Amino acid sequence: MNADKYHHISDQDLLAKFHADHNNEWLGILLQRYTLLLLGVCMKYLKNEDEAKDSVQQIFLKVIQELQKYKVDYFKSWLYMVAKNHCLMKLRDRQSKIPAELTERLMAAPEVETDWNALVQTDLTLEMMETSLKELNPEQLQCVTLFYLEKKSYQEIAESTGYNMLQVKSYIQNGKRNLKILIEKKLKVK
Amino acid sequence: MQDNLKDILSHLTTDIDQETLLLYLQDKLPAEKKHEVEKTLAANEFANDALEGLQQVKDKKQVAYMVEMLNRDLKKKVEKKKQRREKLKLKDQPWLYMVIFIFIILIILCYLIIQRLMQHS
Repeated sequence: MNADKYHHISDQDLLAKFHADHNNEWLGILLQRYTLLLLGVCMKYLKNEDEAKDSVQQIFLKVIQELQKYKVDYFKSWLYMVAKNHCLMKLRDRQSKIPAELTERLMAAPEVETDWNALVQTDLTLEMMETSLKELNPEQLQCVTLFYLEKKSYQEIAESTGYNMLQVKSYIQNGKRNLKILIEKKLKVK
Repeated sequence: MQDNLKDILSHLTTDIDQETLLLYLQDKLPAEKKHEVEKTLAANEFANDALEGLQQVKDKKQVAYMVEMLNRDLKKKVEKKKQRREKLKLKDQPWLYMVIFIFIILIILCYLIIQRLMQHS
């Protein structure tokens, strides 16, 4: 089966097709969509190209086996969790230490979050955002503003501020998270 | 301004195709597109983690080749399982059972005939 031919079919539909006829080729098409991401996640944790490639193959096998046994509703987040857990197990074997970062939540649904898409449509939230932005620390405020409001890339921000790319990324991520916390607090008060 | 503010908290489309991510990794995207990718990555933990890992690959040009090899291997795996299943299916064919049955009957008949002949002699 040629994977490009099936790009219009969603992950859920591919899974449904697999459950209907138990043809593993549907899983092949589905998994190919995530090869690059899996390789990246394995590289992030294992920091070794050969080990990362081996791990991707092992994750493929695990996914093929697991999906024969039960249905998965949120494939992408499930796959991400499988990959992370696989890498952490490898690290544990390597260091004989258990990283307490993750727990086995293979069947977990994505976390239920505040419906920000609906909230940002209200003028009140937008007003709160403008005031909350000013409450961020200067680095976060600068990076969030340049990234979201002035549409600069990480590289451009790094060049104009003097921070390195990792710092820029971290200021944006933390700034965004803090902004959400600040707005949630204000919404609760209201 | 307000539309841009919305981008900070909205859950934007978080899917990113592998080709775009590869181009981003190889620094082959124009600044505007780069920003789009980064905005998507900021809302997609899976892709964000993956990018962090991919940035550690020494020769970025090799990434596409590595993915291609992994995909080939995956394809072989799923095809192998299919072939094995088809072989099993073959065994389920009724004509196969018939052939085996006829063969067993023939053996029994041969045995009986040989035994008769031996008795007569």
